[in-house]
Amino acid sequence: MVMGQTIDRTDERPGGPLAVSTAGLTKSFGNRTVVDDVALAIPSGSVCGFVGPNGAGKTTTIRMLLGLVRPTSGSGTILGGNLDEPASYLHKVGALIESPAFYPQLSGRDNLKALARLGRLPLTAVDPVLERSGLLARAGDKYRSYSLGMKQRLGIAAAMLAGPELLILDEPTNGLDPAGIVEMRGLIRSFAADGITVLISSHLISEIEQICDYVVMIRAGRLVHQGGVGELRATQQPDFLIAAEHDADRDVLIKLLQAAGCTVTPRPAEASVLVETPGLGAADLNRLAASSGIILRQLNERTRSLELAFFALTGTASADVPTGQEMGAIK
Amino acid sequence: MMWAAFTSEWTKLRRPTLFLATFLGLAAAASLFVVLLFSQASANGGIVTLHQLAKPNGLVIGVARASMLLGVVAFGIAASQVASEYSLGTLRQLLVRQPRRAVLLAGKMLGTITFLVLALCFAAVIALIVAVVAAQARHVPTSAWFTGTGLGDLFRELGDLTLGVIGYSVLGMALGQFVRSAVFAVIVGFAWLIAVENIIVRIVPSTQQWLPGASIMAVASGGVEGVSYGHGLILGAVYVVVAIAAAMTVFLRTDVTA
Repeated sequence: MVMGQTIDRTDERPGGPLAVSTAGLTKSFGNRTVVDDVALAIPSGSVCGFVGPNGAGKTTTIRMLLGLVRPTSGSGTILGGNLDEPASYLHKVGALIESPAFYPQLSGRDNLKALARLGRLPLTAVDPVLERSGLLARAGDKYRSYSLGMKQRLGIAAAMLAGPELLILDEPTNGLDPAGIVEMRGLIRSFAADGITVLISSHLISEIEQICDYVVMIRAGRLVHQGGVGELRATQQPDFLIAAEHDADRDVLIKLLQAAGCTVTPRPAEASVLVETPGLGAADLNRLAASSGIILRQLNERTRSLELAFFALTGTASADVPTGQEMGAIK
Repeated sequence: MMWAAFTSEWTKLRRPTLFLATFLGLAAAASLFVVLLFSQASANGGIVTLHQLAKPNGLVIGVARASMLLGVVAFGIAASQVASEYSLGTLRQLLVRQPRRAVLLAGKMLGTITFLVLALCFAAVIALIVAVVAAQARHVPTSAWFTGTGLGDLFRELGDLTLGVIGYSVLGMALGQFVRSAVFAVIVGFAWLIAVENIIVRIVPSTQQWLPGASIMAVASGGVEGVSYGHGLILGAVYVVVAIAAAMTVFLRTDVTA
């Protein structure tokens, strides 16, 4: 695959109703196109990971969905409302955009009251969301006294205030410690259990892998893949960790595998080899070794992670957006 | 819907630090002017005579002199309230809950203006009490203040000050909308109102009647030398309408990336 090649798989539309659907969504700032012809199709009720390196255009896309940034071109439907009229759907949407932003001198509760009044929501909705986000005990304290984790939880509480059908969380685990990340994961799972469609943006693919059942991948402003996490994994060939019974057979085994079209990476420390196959299964590899009289003491199939799938789809080994020079080379 | 934006803005404005600082600060400033006026007044001359203070409009002389200060404070608070929504990043939260931007901005403007007008009224009441005490201390008779004429002058002056505060507030909020930084908005606004306009007028005196700060000052003070009350009222209203239209246009068209 050519480095940086983009793959548009928007034809793989899921069958069920869509919470978010866009066509040709594009945003340019001056001459710089930040989001380019993105066609999202996020199923209702899914927990969708929105994955891409830093600077890939995730936040700009989210801001367009929330009516904060006007698309340069393109159209869309969110919860049945038109993307051009955010007021038609935002009353059913909750959002945490980048870092949580509240008035530092107000308490957590008063911050939510200000938002509830603005959205014409009952003030009785405030305490239940504070309780759900684990902040009720500190709700009367000033926001500026909150830890980062508490601020993030208040952001989640604010997003839940309207009883949303769609929850958009932009990098919700940013800055959280491991315990906070686990807590956040639990919260997100509980929202999904309530039937809320959750769109989570993150540059941490491993994080998304643990929570989401659907994934949208974006790179340099362009969609590279969207679909179920399981389907994506299924498209990825597993690799194998193989070791011959006798070390003396290792070189012969490597030559055999290479002759069969495999990519072999020796791992001397474990006296084994890592094998990427062109479609061979465990039985094929075992048969191949046996045909030369080699007995295998280890044959482990390893499922490839979403992270590897992302790198395979984008043709890069780095999570960072390419530099200007690299971008030039791709063109 | 605008009522929702208005009450939401008030939830923010009534926080103790801002509420007390504004209400007590304005009251202290107005009272200080009254005390200085009475303490410096003499029988024969100076800034004002004791005889002038005993007249029906004697009560409002001190408050009217404080109009510039009240205006500048109103301008600064209004500018910082709008600009800080950008610098804190809270605007994106607000726009998710109220995507109709014109409604949001109108509600916020109305909230800030009522807050400042109430602060002005509170300052006026305190300054009035201080004036009565100061008059007793300087043996200035106050019976004329509470006649029909005196109270009429008082309420007219308070009305003019209210218009002035509204004008300064709108200009402040418009500037805050353009520069999107509370500190920068306050610095630019203060520099313009206190220094730049004065320098321009000193170099080209005829410009006084066309400058926004001077026009609104003329309204707040019931007319000043060089700018009549009526001229200030008309031109000030034009500046206010233009400022609201410009702020609204910018707000409606701007991408919120903060």
